[in-house]
Amino acid sequence: MARIELVGLSKSFGNVVAVRDLSLTIEDGEFVVLVGPSGCGKTTTLRMIAGFVDASAGEIRIDGRVVNDLEPRDRGLGMVFQTHALFPHKTVMQNIEFGLRMKRVPAPERAQRVREVADMVHISHLLDQMPGQCSGGEAQRVALARTLVTQPSTFLLDEPLSSLDAKLRRELRAECDRLHQALKRTFIYVTHDQEEAMTLADRIVVMRAGEIVQVGTPMEIYSNPVNYFVADFFGSPSMNLLAGEIVQVDGTARFRATSFELDLPERFKAAESGAATLGIRPEHVGVTLGGKGDIELPVRLVEPLGRDTLLYFDAGTERAFVAVSEGLDMADVKVGVRMALSLDPRRLYLFDADGRRLAPP
Amino acid sequence: MSVAAVSAASIPSQPSPRELSRRRAIKRFRWSILAPLILLLAFVLMPVLFLQLYFSFHQWTVYLGSWSDAEYVGLDLFLEVLTDPRFGWAVVRSLAFATGSTIGCFLVGFALAYLMRRPFRGQAFYYTIFILPMLTVPVVVAYTAEMLLYQSGPLNDLISRITGIDFKPMWLTDPNIALPTVMLLEIWNWAPFSFIILLAGLAAIPSEPIEAAEILGASRWRVFWEVELPLLRPVIFLALVLRFLEAMAEFPKTWALLQGGPGTATETLPVYIFLTTWQYFEISKGAVMSYLVMLLMIVIVLFAIRLLRREKQALDTMYARQKAAG
Amino acid sequence: MRKSRRRRLTAIMRYVLLTAWAIVAFFPIFWMISTSFKPDTQWFAWPPVYFPHPPTLSNYLNVWFGAEEYAATQYAISSQKPLISLLNSTIIAGTATLLSVLFGAVMAYGVSRYRILSETRMFQLLMLRMIPPIVIVAPLSLYYSTLGLLDSMTGLILIYFLTSLPYAVWMTKSFIDEVPREIEQAAEILGASRWRTIFEIVLPLIRSGLVATFLFILILTWSEYLLALIITKTQVTTLPIELSKYQGSTEGRVYGRQAALAVGITIPLMIVGLIIRKHLARGFSFGMVRR
Repeated sequence: MARIELVGLSKSFGNVVAVRDLSLTIEDGEFVVLVGPSGCGKTTTLRMIAGFVDASAGEIRIDGRVVNDLEPRDRGLGMVFQTHALFPHKTVMQNIEFGLRMKRVPAPERAQRVREVADMVHISHLLDQMPGQCSGGEAQRVALARTLVTQPSTFLLDEPLSSLDAKLRRELRAECDRLHQALKRTFIYVTHDQEEAMTLADRIVVMRAGEIVQVGTPMEIYSNPVNYFVADFFGSPSMNLLAGEIVQVDGTARFRATSFELDLPERFKAAESGAATLGIRPEHVGVTLGGKGDIELPVRLVEPLGRDTLLYFDAGTERAFVAVSEGLDMADVKVGVRMALSLDPRRLYLFDADGRRLAPP
Repeated sequence: MSVAAVSAASIPSQPSPRELSRRRAIKRFRWSILAPLILLLAFVLMPVLFLQLYFSFHQWTVYLGSWSDAEYVGLDLFLEVLTDPRFGWAVVRSLAFATGSTIGCFLVGFALAYLMRRPFRGQAFYYTIFILPMLTVPVVVAYTAEMLLYQSGPLNDLISRITGIDFKPMWLTDPNIALPTVMLLEIWNWAPFSFIILLAGLAAIPSEPIEAAEILGASRWRVFWEVELPLLRPVIFLALVLRFLEAMAEFPKTWALLQGGPGTATETLPVYIFLTTWQYFEISKGAVMSYLVMLLMIVIVLFAIRLLRREKQALDTMYARQKAAG
Repeated sequence: MRKSRRRRLTAIMRYVLLTAWAIVAFFPIFWMISTSFKPDTQWFAWPPVYFPHPPTLSNYLNVWFGAEEYAATQYAISSQKPLISLLNSTIIAGTATLLSVLFGAVMAYGVSRYRILSETRMFQLLMLRMIPPIVIVAPLSLYYSTLGLLDSMTGLILIYFLTSLPYAVWMTKSFIDEVPREIEQAAEILGASRWRTIFEIVLPLIRSGLVATFLFILILTWSEYLLALIITKTQVTTLPIELSKYQGSTEGRVYGRQAALAVGITIPLMIVGLIIRKHLARGFSFGMVRR
């Protein structure tokens, strides 16, 4: 139906390389999220797929057919833009039926399909309004409807939720998910928000500086980051990353940081000595008051959030060492108190001086 | 809701002294700002219009003594002007000139603006060249045109060389083509005006609705007709209206260059009024014509105001959300 | 290669069309400059001379400086006043523009912050300027003669001031609209009066806009013809009138001289126009272009 292959795709703007030799296959019906910091090339890639940007090199294939030379309108795609991009001078109804008019669908059928789609996204009451009178969330729904009604094989979404406030964002995110389940079409979604990526994606494509860093399911990305960057990018609160070095002492590998030292688990036995970074997610750090643990650190800040409590520890670095404790048991801990922290050995990550992950299990 | 009710109950019905003095201060401020304009209108414009009106009803030429000696003639002058075929022709010529040159300016300006709406190499260079004609003083245009359009002049020479035929129309001396020639001059002179306005309008159209239209299957033509053009309406009207009004008032090219000639071929309203007043010295007749022209222009202007206001409001509603948020 | 071929063809077409009009736009200007350097035998030679050979400064010297040794041709001109006209033009246009921008900016502030004029009135103000000056010139000159303002710089300045005011108000208003109100409120809290706020806070913030407005209106008043024609007689002349006097005082066709005068009139304007070219769009928008 709609299998999209990007083969060796590159794009340069003058001297600036926005996308570098990118290859990716997106299967029919997948929800793929391109995620990364600003400037990583994710939007450029999406716009190349759409046809608004010409690739400097490489091929874009839809169902095996090379489409580089096709205009956007001939590629059978649908797109939702960051700024909803509705036609301000046409009513919501006229906006939605636009694509059908371009395909010369007769008026009665048009009206029917518009009504169906408007129901699907809950905007039937807005059909006679002007876009200028709609709220941000409503406008974005109209934009969705406008694309949905043309039944494209693939939906391209360029940060559609970025301009909305947090609550609306969650609502529409759920909407996107629901639509994907219902339509079973391919969705290619671009965002810089890792939470959106984690919740929506079947597969996440992490990008940075024009290249793909890692491709995988949310689970894989989260539990098996391929490098420092991916580990740091995903997770909220983000993974604790401590600089230090690996030293071999009496046949065991130890990790030495400024404020503590730690025995490394069995699987790191053969790790080379040298500069390294230790990683562990806050939820995998156990805290006890006055008990025994792998390391001991003083408390810098306590953040009771209700469901969890975040504890910030001073590890001798600028960035605090964070642990998450369920419930409010730890909410009364005083600043400065030294606590014992136990680190789940199965969840320890090590990254070498270049940021690459060491000895994945 | 309930907060407002509480506040409403506790507000005294009289505004505080501070509020009153503040309002007085603002009122003083407003009037002091408007004062110069009002003074000017009262002491310059009003007397002039009044004098004009006076002469419309009192026959006077410079050969009489003081202007207060002029005799009252009622509506005779109006009748004389309204039945004067030369006046009628002047009206026709002015309207034709204004319409033709406005449309010409618009077409050229729009074509140029549309070609230049996306950045490309050399854009700044072309932009600079294109605004030059507007920066030439209209009188200069008139005299330079005389040099260029002379029958044995460079323009005919160039065209002859390019097309290979012996092209020697008498641009300025043939009564049949004199007026169109002046229209072409006007277009050359003022196309940049339309160009600048339309280019600004095109640049202000957001790019994403256009891309949305493209990906929804619209051809280039459709995108233009359904998205770009409607969003350009206010700007288009502005370009047309302003140009039309100024073209009706055009004087240097028709007078300095041709004195309304050859014969009366380029005798537009301003020229005819000028002739009547300063060459034939029929001050009163000139006054009547001026008043009639002024009335005509006021009608056109009122219509134009209504049009432009409507467009501006449409523009504001379209982008209402954005304005409120931003 | 459908898409890229079409892209290239479009680009070529674009360059062709744009260059065609660029030639049309520039050629008269080129001709004017070229003629100003031609010796009198080449003024209207046939076939036409496009590049004077040899170029000469005699036209400029004769026209602008009345150099005696160049007067000894059959085309010597009696009027030797272009430099004075230049001075007059500068003073008149400069003063009128300065006044209109000053008063216009203050009025624009009033409209922007205090709505002293409704939107309809603003448009009416603009349309005031659109009434052809021809309809008031006759009584104006009479009125002026009774006031003793005829053939005076003051008279001309006054009328130019009036006709420039609408543009000044409209253009400066668009700049003032963009100054955030908070800045004025901050000044108010710190004790500044309204007038002080205008002159010490708001206007300095829109400096570049004021300059652009000034230069734009300067162009209009500098090149104005009709009002100048009627109101000036012998004492005062502006440059556009000077040029037409050339036409009148000779048997015409002193193309080289006229061109030299025309160049002198036009070049300053072009320089000014090129300086403010980025602001021209702003000045012409009158609220019809979304910012």
